Amino acid sequence: MTAMVGLKRVRWYVFLAAVVPIFTIGLGLDARQERDAGGFKAPTAALERGRAVYVLNHCHFCHGVDLTRATMGAANLSQSPFVGTDEDGNMIGPLVKAGLPNLQTAMPSYMELTSEEIVDLARYIHFLRQQARFRELSRLADSPAGDRTAGEAYFNGAANCRSCHSVTGDLAGIGLKYDTPKLRERLLRPGPTMPSEGVSPTAGQAAHLKLLENYTAANVQDLIAYLGASR
Amino acid sequence: MIPSRRDLLKALAGAPMLFAPQRPAAVTTVNGVVFGVETFSFHDLPPAGDLQLIPTIVKNLQTLGIAECEIMSGHIEPFASVMTGWWVQSRRSPDFARLREEARQWRLTVPMTYYRDIQRRFEDAGLRIYLYNVNFNETFTDAERDRTFEAARELGAEGFSSSTVLSESRRLVPFVQKHKMFVAMHNHNNLADPDQFATPASFETALAMSPLFYVTLDIGHFTAGNNDAVAFIRQHHDRIINIHVRDRKRNNGPNRPFGQGDTPIADVLRLIRDNRYPIRCYLEYEYGSFRPAVDEVKTCFDYCRRVLAS
Repeated sequence: MTAMVGLKRVRWYVFLAAVVPIFTIGLGLDARQERDAGGFKAPTAALERGRAVYVLNHCHFCHGVDLTRATMGAANLSQSPFVGTDEDGNMIGPLVKAGLPNLQTAMPSYMELTSEEIVDLARYIHFLRQQARFRELSRLADSPAGDRTAGEAYFNGAANCRSCHSVTGDLAGIGLKYDTPKLRERLLRPGPTMPSEGVSPTAGQAAHLKLLENYTAANVQDLIAYLGASR
Repeated sequence: MIPSRRDLLKALAGAPMLFAPQRPAAVTTVNGVVFGVETFSFHDLPPAGDLQLIPTIVKNLQTLGIAECEIMSGHIEPFASVMTGWWVQSRRSPDFARLREEARQWRLTVPMTYYRDIQRRFEDAGLRIYLYNVNFNETFTDAERDRTFEAARELGAEGFSSSTVLSESRRLVPFVQKHKMFVAMHNHNNLADPDQFATPASFETALAMSPLFYVTLDIGHFTAGNNDAVAFIRQHHDRIINIHVRDRKRNNGPNRPFGQGDTPIADVLRLIRDNRYPIRCYLEYEYGSFRPAVDEVKTCFDYCRRVLAS
């Protein structure tokens, strides 16, 4: 009897050992990633340089190691529309250098950061935003369903999906090909789950990453309603 | 079931020593200068309300060999400190009113044994909460202010350190008188808002309100606001309870490892040592690092020890 219980336990642990890494990789939370006081190590050398700027300038104490647990009244950078408009530090850089001295607990001025450090920092912040937004949006429930008309307007308007895609062209019948969870996953992350060393994202992948950072939950639900109707 | 001898010994080891004589409050000194830690330094603690939070603080202080601390309310109360209204930005959240009321009701109803138990955990470890860091603000009711003073007493604190504002200080005057407990005002470096503590003048305005108002001088923030910490300590040493030792650059510059910023840490520590000012020096680690917080606080403490040895 005891041996049977022991065997069942072993089977359970084997099952967990097999399933947990697969599940966490799918969420962009690779359980094998190394962690330290500044969060998870970044997947590429360039992003790791950005993480060093972020951590050694103590950004994480107020904005959180993953951008989502902002403390002391600091902005939640994973949701910030201001950060969403940034390209390689063109918005983040001037603000970080000037600081926010008139905040109740002032954000320091980081005048000494070089242009290269600002670019590294900004790219790391965008990477963290993409991770955080994917985690959040991939957990959206299937219902209530989005608004198909609003999805079409977003597809052809603000998101500018139509510059590359069409529901009568490359996306024809996509609602038959994928169920809602798979469609959501493909919408949020059509490219690789994590950046790789020495591999730059294609223009299309970069555009999708930019969209991922800036989607609202409603945007995603509406797009799924619109694309899911393409049968 | 009859407990085994081992169980009995375990239970006795974990029980409060009810019949033990009261130990004198522990003090950590370096060449006559008293050191403590602001628990904000421990950035990698479990979240508010986690059962391991207080044991981790106790363990960290023991690891450092530092006997006393200024403990943040967010490390005592089982909710995030944004729920207590200090950060004006956080009051804009749509959930703020509800969360703030939850925090208020908790404060008004929690039994005082909650705080006494925490005080005992420190005492049993040979440690002491010297200051309770509560950021009093306009979202407190008078009943809440009263309960917070009672809580500080149960924690064994001598008084408060508070990142408060001048307008709230006026409201606190009758409470310090009633409870015979001091509040030490802590500064940041917002020079634009005259209600904030950031300049010598802002401290002097508060000190004139009550003899039970004192100063927690954060020498890093004071320097970042382009003030002279050495001159301020020389002038107001008899009204300064403690300093927060950190190193920031001037002109609202960032925190840096000790010795790499513009803050006159060495001059301040030697001033306190040489004049035997009874000002406690509390380490506050806030520069960035990949290492655990307790390791960095140790590095900060080692720096101060080297300064005071010379």
